[in-house]
Amino acid sequence: MHNHNHRHPINCILPPHVLNNIATHGSASQKSLAISTLKVTEQMRGQRRAMADFTAAAFRVQAVGGGKERIVYDAKNGSTLPGTIVRNEGDGPVADVAVNEAYDGSGTTYDLYKNIYGRDSIDNNGMRLDSTVHYKKEYDNAFWDGEQMVYGDGDGELFNRFTIAIDVISHELTHGVTQFEAKLVYSQQPGALNESMSDVFGSLVKQYSLDQTADQADWLIGAGLLAAGVNGVALRSMKAPGTAYDDPVLGKDPQPGHMNDYVNTPSDNGGVHINSGIPNHAFYVVANQIGGKAWEKAGQIWYVTLRDKLTSSSNFQACANQTFTVAGALFGAGSLEQQAVKFGWSEVGIDVEGSGTPTPTPTPGDGCFGSLLKLIGAAPK
Amino acid sequence: MDIKRIKFERTGGFAGIRFAADFELDDLPKDQAHQIIELLDEMDFDELPEHIRGNQQVADGFNYSITVITEKRQQMVTTSDTAAPKKMEPLLEILTKIAKQQARNKK
Repeated sequence: MHNHNHRHPINCILPPHVLNNIATHGSASQKSLAISTLKVTEQMRGQRRAMADFTAAAFRVQAVGGGKERIVYDAKNGSTLPGTIVRNEGDGPVADVAVNEAYDGSGTTYDLYKNIYGRDSIDNNGMRLDSTVHYKKEYDNAFWDGEQMVYGDGDGELFNRFTIAIDVISHELTHGVTQFEAKLVYSQQPGALNESMSDVFGSLVKQYSLDQTADQADWLIGAGLLAAGVNGVALRSMKAPGTAYDDPVLGKDPQPGHMNDYVNTPSDNGGVHINSGIPNHAFYVVANQIGGKAWEKAGQIWYVTLRDKLTSSSNFQACANQTFTVAGALFGAGSLEQQAVKFGWSEVGIDVEGSGTPTPTPTPGDGCFGSLLKLIGAAPK
Repeated sequence: MDIKRIKFERTGGFAGIRFAADFELDDLPKDQAHQIIELLDEMDFDELPEHIRGNQQVADGFNYSITVITEKRQQMVTTSDTAAPKKMEPLLEILTKIAKQQARNKK
């Protein structure tokens, strides 16, 4: 019997943004079906992508003459976006610290992407960086709404203003980059990868602004965000997931740092802010194994993977495999950088597929160099 | 609406920290209870759909769930920051404060 029904029934009818919605908001079975359908859709996406990107570019606000262009708006504690313009590109600092932090933070984020990765803004086509501060009253959050960054003032009791940490700003801006590149669905493992990419480049922008090497960085996300009296140092730790806070009101940091502790939950879009701890920690290990300034090599590997390799339905395993491939392409097959990528993922319980022999386990206290020697084959059997 | 009890949950957000409240309306100060009833009436809560979703793909936005329980029925509405009707915003602020207070009381 011939089976001509190669096309997925949902794929024939539903556009990707609807599938994305189902993958984000549907029941468990609907999410699973939507993500699997998106995988099929991805195979056909390549040929349509050029036209889609061209069309989208026609409607976006571009920086006049290209280059860095920022506008900061004030929502004046309302919810209407974008609000009133309070600082344009090239304007000097104003009296409002949140405005200046949003301006400077988005500028430094632009600089990292441009100077290190050659990327011209969120869409790589000079998209203007719009930020709104003072969103709603006592709003303890920041988000990317698909077009701009939005920051609340915090409630003052548990959270300070969300522009206080530059990595929060670069985290939000990176959601925009992901939107234009891998388009990772905001649910389950693709969503956790989406979150992790934002944390990775959030931390890298902070390190870049401080000119820190990997071993000098704190690898915290949202340091300074927790109000006085809250028992915690930040919202997440890439170095030690699950240790950022432990507070009677906020609870304990729920992030796992290993696949053995992966959290299955319908909450938080399938735990996107929880399980991101796993790829976060993998990146931390890779960056420290390579050493030096994390944005130079480890960041380059992750950026190229996000830009060229991941798709909307990519999971942790796919990210591990692709970062390994990219590291080989950038630095050579079997290079220290590629072996560091393999080791980093193995440390969180993910073995890169098709990479040959299992990763040796380093002895604690060996340090970076000792670990690398083992990785390249000098380890005792 | 003859409201007996309200359940509220806020999840997601940059921090990914869940806050929840579950309370009898009679246990609130009278002014606050009255304010909540007025807000629910103004937004015609019992006419709202179960899910209020926006068109935008928001990253790090809050997701909200409000369940209002009366003698005769229980109605749940889920929404998000950018999708919530303007009239619902004051209610979300009040319920968030109550949820944080309940978290403090559990100390």
